[in-house]
Amino acid sequence: MSAPNMEHPLGPCPRRSGDPVRRRRGLGKHFAIARLAARQRLEERAVLWGRVLFYFIILLVFARLWEALLGAKPGSAPPDDASLGQRPSHYIWYLAITEWIMLSQPLLHLDIEADIRAGAVGHSLSRPVSYVAGKLAEAWGEVAVRLVLLGASGLIFARLLGAEWPEPSALPLAALGGVLASMVMTLALAAIGLSALWVTDSTSVYLLWQKACFVLGGLMLPLSIYPPWLRSIAEWSPFAALLFGPAELVLGAPPERVLGCMLRLACWGALFALMLVGLERRASRIVTVHGG
Amino acid sequence: MTTAIEARQLCKHFTSRRRATGLGAAFRQLWAPVYHEHVAVDGVSFRIEPGERVAFVGPNGAGKSTTIKMLSGILHPSSGSASVLGHTPWRERRELAYRIGTVFGQRSQLWYHLPAADSFELLGRIYDRERHEHRQRQSELVERFALAQDIEKPVRELSLGQRMRCEIVASLLHDPDLVFLDEPTIGLDVTAKAAIRSVLLEQSRQDGKTLLFTSHDTGDMESVCERVIIIHHGRVLVDQSLAELRRTHLRRKLLVLHTVEPAVPLTLAGTRVVACEPHRLELELDLDRVAVEQVVQLVMARARLRDLTVSDPPMEDVIRELYGRARNFSAQRALGAPTPGAGP
Repeated sequence: MSAPNMEHPLGPCPRRSGDPVRRRRGLGKHFAIARLAARQRLEERAVLWGRVLFYFIILLVFARLWEALLGAKPGSAPPDDASLGQRPSHYIWYLAITEWIMLSQPLLHLDIEADIRAGAVGHSLSRPVSYVAGKLAEAWGEVAVRLVLLGASGLIFARLLGAEWPEPSALPLAALGGVLASMVMTLALAAIGLSALWVTDSTSVYLLWQKACFVLGGLMLPLSIYPPWLRSIAEWSPFAALLFGPAELVLGAPPERVLGCMLRLACWGALFALMLVGLERRASRIVTVHGG
Repeated sequence: MTTAIEARQLCKHFTSRRRATGLGAAFRQLWAPVYHEHVAVDGVSFRIEPGERVAFVGPNGAGKSTTIKMLSGILHPSSGSASVLGHTPWRERRELAYRIGTVFGQRSQLWYHLPAADSFELLGRIYDRERHEHRQRQSELVERFALAQDIEKPVRELSLGQRMRCEIVASLLHDPDLVFLDEPTIGLDVTAKAAIRSVLLEQSRQDGKTLLFTSHDTGDMESVCERVIIIHHGRVLVDQSLAELRRTHLRRKLLVLHTVEPAVPLTLAGTRVVACEPHRLELELDLDRVAVEQVVQLVMARARLRDLTVSDPPMEDVIRELYGRARNFSAQRALGAPTPGAGP
């Protein structure tokens, strides 16, 4: 038993078993949460297959759209200017990657907002795992399931729609970029969810984020075909790093673009993580002072 | 022996925005909001020893949950201090988390689509339990709570009673010294309630766990707890053992008489006829005005007795009466009239 002091005049109560709890540091418990979340998501088959179907419809519609606009079949010979975004095949792969990243995202902001409304954030503080870290682990478990399922589906759909195989190294690099981007995007969604503590309804913040992803991230159109002034603005935003960056890798970007993409993702990831730590501290203060 | 919980003058005030009435006032509040302070807990003090089973009772809005939140470290008090298992809860929340268990009747820590066994496994990781130790503890609890058949089914397929037993197992898996139970029997049928009460009692007796139990069901209190703290308007109204509570506040008895004669004429100050049927008379006695013995003697003088039973009114009546007294006290205090005898 520790010596009595002013703060704890009685000293900590000894454990009956006499066996103090060994507190492990590290990510073991977070991996366990992620694993369980992945299993829970696999149980929700209808939701998963719904996303796969939506993914196919999006790719089909846009593949036909670009085919009509560019006047060429996906498998046909490239036109004179074969740079990114000038061949239907490019568009299919590009869109397959951007949509793969977007559709792999869970509705984490809504989940966190629901917890805030229900007072569950406060209750989670009585457990030896950080609320935000637990939620992120859960979200990444879900993201992992979707990345695998939608990734495999994307490959099949792109080929079904006539896209030629990209260079051998391009797909793994784009996949790596996509996985990193998904993780970073989840950090941003957690921050959006926590914003509900201040704005009450996080949907408005999420809609801003989503529309910015569409426009500045190049969800449907590669930034390479944007006007130069808009492209330069977009490239300074996190949205381009999250969507355009990994998606352009599928078309065989030079090594400096690959490195640039990974570096940008790492920087935005670090920035979002820092922001999330700050938000969690503020949120914890609000919850513990004003109630969950 | 070290105290499990010691609360000293705990207070919690919340500030909230006053809702405007009328459109004009609502617009004005956009730039000049008006705030008001609400006192949820107003100087609560008590002490709970290890192994005690204490019911924390009060009407809705009395401050029970707020007090429990402060004691479990998830809410900072506005003033006052507390020591839970030797820790200051809101400063050493993480340390304390390993030593307390919480069951909130309307919140789940189980994963809905997965078997409860998976959630139990995860809790072992979250609480940093050694794997073999955790498995052993899990199998003990599963056996004790008769859940062997149920923990392999997805949680969504369990009945409310089974789910609540799983919730309690989940909160006990890390072998906490102290368990906070906030309405664990809410919404359960009589059988499920009885099962939960008996396992909680058994668990506390075997492992010496301290239980702090909130419930609106006095049956929970009577079956599991040995002591009751009644809180009203954020203040402790009563802090007594159940037996003492009955003795102090139960100034009435129920007397049921079965007689050979179909009716017994009886008018006596301090008695009230609750039911009068042929050969059966049920009376409520005010013990401040009449003794049981006096009534029985009077009845025996007028009729032949076949049987008689003397019982206490239900605990619910005692609690209701105490709340009523507290309400009157508050109302009189608001009018400035001093009223003795209703305070703690």
